[in-house]
Amino acid sequence: MNEIHPKFAVVGHPNKGKSSIVSTLAFDDSVYISSIPGSTQKKQSFPLKVDGNILYELFDTPGFQRARRVLAWLQKHNVSADKRADVVRNFIEIHRDDERFNDEVELLEPIMAGAGIIYVVDASKPYSEEYEAQMEVLRWTGQPSMALINHISESDYSQEWKRALGHYFKMVRTFNPMKATFRQHLLLLESIAQMKEEWVAPVGESIKLFKQYHEQMFERSARNITQLLYKSLSYKEQLSIAQEDAIQEERESIALNYQMHLRSLEETSQKEIKKIWNHQHLQTDQALLRFKGTDLFSKESASIFGLTRKELLVTAATGGAMTGAGIDIILGGSTLLLGSAIGALVGGTGAFFGFNELSEVKVLGQNLGKHYLEMGPMENKNFPYILLGRAIYHATTVANRSHALREVATFSMDSTFKEKWLNEALRKSLEQQHNAFRSGKEIEPKELAKYEVLIREVLNHLVVK
Amino acid sequence: MNLKTYVEFYELLERNKVSREENRTFGLATEAISFSPFKQIVQWVEQYKSRLEQPSLSEKFSSYLYGITFTLVIGSFFLGLFSGVGLLSYSGHEPVNVIYFIAMVVLLPLTTMTFTLITMFKTHSTQPFLVHLSPAFWMEKLLQFLPRKLEVSVENFKVNPLLAQWLIIKRSQLLALVFSLGLLLALLGMVVTKDIAFAWSTTLQVSPQEFHSLVYSLAFAWRELFPWAVPSVELIEQSQYFRLGEKLNVQMVDNASKLGEWWKFLAFATLFYALLLRFMVWLLSLWGFRYALLKSFLSLEGSAKLLREMNEPIITTTPKQLNSIPTESHIQTSQSEDVLSSSYSKTLGWSLTLEELHLLNDSMGVESTEVFEVGGNNSLEQDTQVASHAKGEVLFYVKSWEPPTMDFVDFIEELTEVTSRVTLVPVGTVEEQYLAKPHEIEMWGKKLQLMGNRKVWLKR
Repeated sequence: MNEIHPKFAVVGHPNKGKSSIVSTLAFDDSVYISSIPGSTQKKQSFPLKVDGNILYELFDTPGFQRARRVLAWLQKHNVSADKRADVVRNFIEIHRDDERFNDEVELLEPIMAGAGIIYVVDASKPYSEEYEAQMEVLRWTGQPSMALINHISESDYSQEWKRALGHYFKMVRTFNPMKATFRQHLLLLESIAQMKEEWVAPVGESIKLFKQYHEQMFERSARNITQLLYKSLSYKEQLSIAQEDAIQEERESIALNYQMHLRSLEETSQKEIKKIWNHQHLQTDQALLRFKGTDLFSKESASIFGLTRKELLVTAATGGAMTGAGIDIILGGSTLLLGSAIGALVGGTGAFFGFNELSEVKVLGQNLGKHYLEMGPMENKNFPYILLGRAIYHATTVANRSHALREVATFSMDSTFKEKWLNEALRKSLEQQHNAFRSGKEIEPKELAKYEVLIREVLNHLVVK
Repeated sequence: MNLKTYVEFYELLERNKVSREENRTFGLATEAISFSPFKQIVQWVEQYKSRLEQPSLSEKFSSYLYGITFTLVIGSFFLGLFSGVGLLSYSGHEPVNVIYFIAMVVLLPLTTMTFTLITMFKTHSTQPFLVHLSPAFWMEKLLQFLPRKLEVSVENFKVNPLLAQWLIIKRSQLLALVFSLGLLLALLGMVVTKDIAFAWSTTLQVSPQEFHSLVYSLAFAWRELFPWAVPSVELIEQSQYFRLGEKLNVQMVDNASKLGEWWKFLAFATLFYALLLRFMVWLLSLWGFRYALLKSFLSLEGSAKLLREMNEPIITTTPKQLNSIPTESHIQTSQSEDVLSSSYSKTLGWSLTLEELHLLNDSMGVESTEVFEVGGNNSLEQDTQVASHAKGEVLFYVKSWEPPTMDFVDFIEELTEVTSRVTLVPVGTVEEQYLAKPHEIEMWGKKLQLMGNRKVWLKR
């Protein structure tokens, strides 16, 4: 392991957003963040590793608890500035097992091991002189340092903070982990590197890698969504039947299974998206798929993400699918999507689509006398846009979400969302691919790659950089 | 590179036998060949195939395919052999019509090879084209009759359609080749063991000269090198046979010894059309199969991910172990009061100025004989002195937004040793008109709860 990599200790008063900053800088939502002060009791290392090699290391540390006592202890030693770091080391050594100074030892240890200091304050609250003891203790360590102004709430006391911090730190930057964009994130890393000349190159390398990493996230998301669409549209559900013709229950059963499978594909895709963007710990207020109660096959989903009747007709005409059956499906589907319900189906969720509108249920019996029902590939013209709209909405919400946020994510519906990404030209391009996906034929990787490019462009447009 | 490797690759991906880290390590070790994804994959399979449970799917699949192919090869050979014997069977009453044999060794191979070539060019279409005509196509169908246990293990394995088509084409050519070999051996065997009188006969008005011209054309490939393997016009004239009256032509009987000469032409026709050309088509099918295999490797689900895992750096920021999440204590409940007393023996403020404390007292309608500023920039000694002189009930203002530190807790402990009651009043900022927010009061309540000091009360 490379031990000379840059290290940065994020320190400060309790509950001022240290863990949030670490979480954002580390692209990781596993950092424990709590509104209860003193939740971080042990320092924790977040190394940026590339193929096992550490490029830099961030330390999340407990907040200062007894800064005045530590400072009093240090000040008892009347030493010249060049010896002050030794006094701090001595303090750590003597108080390593002293419970009273557990937090101070935890936060000072990485600093005395060479970590640069990132001192975090909350400028949404007024400056107070009680912070001065902490800053004085940090000054005793003699390590390179910078102050980071965080804004936990809306009020702004930045100016008074900057005036005070300027006395202790050469560099003062503002960074809101909850709202920071990727670009701001990289700018902060650049600033951090300025603390020490030797850190500029390795942190610069990390920035390059982060950019690459970010690009990978887009690529993988686009690939994931493409696979979701391809698998969903081409999927065929089969069900063995006892008789030559299927009874109503069997038809309903295959339709439900078909829907369930498509839901599970969407769920798997969403899980993967969260993994790609390092949001595995993201909680949603409903079951993953529900989008606050909006099921994949619901009327709401269709009206928010689906095409209008006019768009459907234009799209179908463009896609060359203006056959009688096609029109029936299109009109039947969209009419139902607009609200009319069909009965006779078990449960209510499937009613807005109608099984026949998703795909025809065929009775097949070529397999040496075994009869079975088959449903799929997806025939409904609107479904791909609903599925795609939901997938893009989910991916952009996850991608735009700060890793520091811990509250439950709510996927609030926005009826204007479709307008943000889907225009006529894109719809035409997508429709060609959707027709190929639903043809049931094997799709060449290069065809899938074309679709990926389209999705990638949409994500690029929607995700804040 | 073969089908076995392909199945091993499928199984390794399907069973998820190799970790992301191992893939990246492998990618770094094979960086020199990263320009060739196929080579990287094949090497990867070689390296990790030992992890597959034995017997592996590839072994089962290969052995089955081999078994079926072997059975069909044997069948084809004997079919060819018996067909040849049947075609050449000579009762002695009437001669063997060479047209049947020529059709079998020239016309049939040329027709099937034409179909095969068309199929080869059409393999890019996703639907099978003409492969149903091939006996090898039915091999796949035969798999359905496999014993149940094996069927279960192989039924989930779906060969890429392109590869499946080339597999059928390749094996069809092999079967045809073996069939033709059977025909040739039948011809040679019959020639050696029997005295066969070959003749030709047709209902069509074909003169010996015209028939010679056809035969001469068919022999284009060997007529220069082996002129004795091309029947002469004279032989053709002598071997023309008419069935009328079921009697042999006198001329034929006179030249019976010459009629056998036909076998040389038939042997060369078999060698060239049924074996040599077929062999070339078989080689072509091998090349096509290899190409399909290469494409199938790269299009197999999971292969793009594998290549990415091999060739993209692993970037992680997550710690090896996460700290345990502290649990909240519910043993104590914080004591709170809603209304302040009108007077307190002492008013303290944690990191608040004296002016602010007087202002707060006035606004709360509280009287206090002494007001002190503690915490902040005070020294510990100054705070201790304030604490030690306190008595009775103390009103203690704190900044609602500043989480209580242990420094504060230490002071409270000191203070409650000498006082009867301490009432904490969290106050907001000036802009908030000193009104604390509910969640801030809640935070203080939790802290007091953890402290469990019965002398400390919280003003809510």
